[in-house]
Amino acid sequence: MTFKDNVSRSWARLKAGPVWIRSSLGAWIWLRDCDEVGANTRTFWRPNIENRGRIVLGSRVRINSNWAPVELVSGPLGVIDIRDGVFINYGTMISAHRLVRIGPNVMIGNYCIIADTEIPGIGEPPGGPSIEPRPVEIGDGAWLAARVTVLPGARIGAGAVIAAGSVVAGDIPPGKVAGGIPARILRAG
Amino acid sequence: MTIRATWYAARARRWLRACASVGNEPYLVGKPTIDSDGGQLRIGNRFRLASRPVASHLVAGPGAVLHVGNDVSIGYGAAIAALQLVHIGDGTRIGPFVIIMDTNFHGAPGDQSIQHDCRPVTIGDGCRIGSRVTIARGVTIGDGAEILAGSVVSSAIPPGVCAAGGRARIIGRAGDVRSRWDSAAAVLPDVLMASLGLESPPDLDGSPMPTHLWTEARMKGVLDAIEDGLGVVLDRAAARDIETFADLAAAVQDALWERQGTAREA
Repeated sequence: MTFKDNVSRSWARLKAGPVWIRSSLGAWIWLRDCDEVGANTRTFWRPNIENRGRIVLGSRVRINSNWAPVELVSGPLGVIDIRDGVFINYGTMISAHRLVRIGPNVMIGNYCIIADTEIPGIGEPPGGPSIEPRPVEIGDGAWLAARVTVLPGARIGAGAVIAAGSVVAGDIPPGKVAGGIPARILRAG
Repeated sequence: MTIRATWYAARARRWLRACASVGNEPYLVGKPTIDSDGGQLRIGNRFRLASRPVASHLVAGPGAVLHVGNDVSIGYGAAIAALQLVHIGDGTRIGPFVIIMDTNFHGAPGDQSIQHDCRPVTIGDGCRIGSRVTIARGVTIGDGAEILAGSVVSSAIPPGVCAAGGRARIIGRAGDVRSRWDSAAAVLPDVLMASLGLESPPDLDGSPMPTHLWTEARMKGVLDAIEDGLGVVLDRAAARDIETFADLAAAVQDALWERQGTAREA
């Protein structure tokens, strides 16, 4: 590494310092409603956490709420399990009334909806039609592009890529590129 | 009633103060934009509306009526605008990011230059409308109908059916069609690509099966691949009658349902 590289890298770190401090402090303050938060988890601006069940975040999770807040909602019996190194972009809603599991190193684009019930973020109306939540699972290193809707009961395999604007229902096998409404395999990866 | 519940109820009342009438126990998550410039918003009992992370808005233009029945719940980011009449029946559940408007064009507020051509929108009782559905003007949706996520509804939907698609078509009865969207549709193109040696995934929307591919030997290969990949055994004799990829997908899905004992709950 040349001297110039060294200087520019140091300068970049110096510039990133305030952001790093702010986002780390942000995680400490804004993620205090979560049950477990791993090391080096950071939030950029304030996500909305509504924890009536259990929300577990792994280490190195990054949550960007810069333009629209990320919303994590768990119902009384709901579990949101987000593993290490997950990145969640702004405006995404993750809602669990039973189980939403997001594997390590998953990337989630902006304005995604990942929910195990029909209407995320809002409980069942008392005495109204009750619909069973169906667990959602997203495998390791999957990538959800912007505005992807993951319907209840969906399972996305490890390393799968979901194109923007898709609606995922049912199973997506690992390592495939899928897209459309409903999402089907576009390319063998 | 706890202090918190009392406070939430009072806050919901305040946020809905622009409505002409609000029923019992409104429950709001986040602050919506409620705009009634000369129109009427009538909201029934136990209304539930989410506005986080993205605010919902309900708008009734001059002389318009936006009528929401009892036990209606609406997800976040909803845009519901009436310039003439929008009716939402009792017990209807509406997902996030839904757009319901009785005009083709909803301009900036106060813009008088637009000529609106309105036709009333009516949504029946007990409907289920998925996320990111767009409902165009003049649409009537029958009681108990189900619109799957991401659809655009531009024509009337009869009661008790399930509709989906970029121009929503009826794909079956409400409640039992969801599974057809599920696993087979996602996995089958891959299985077919591998077993038939296709370059690109086949279109499952009803294109006829190329006859040169559907020979006896090929069919055996495909059925074996389906057996390996999906774990279902199709009847060989029945498989001869299959003419389109859609028929094949339906047969596979039926076999999957049979294997699971009953149809998966809706």
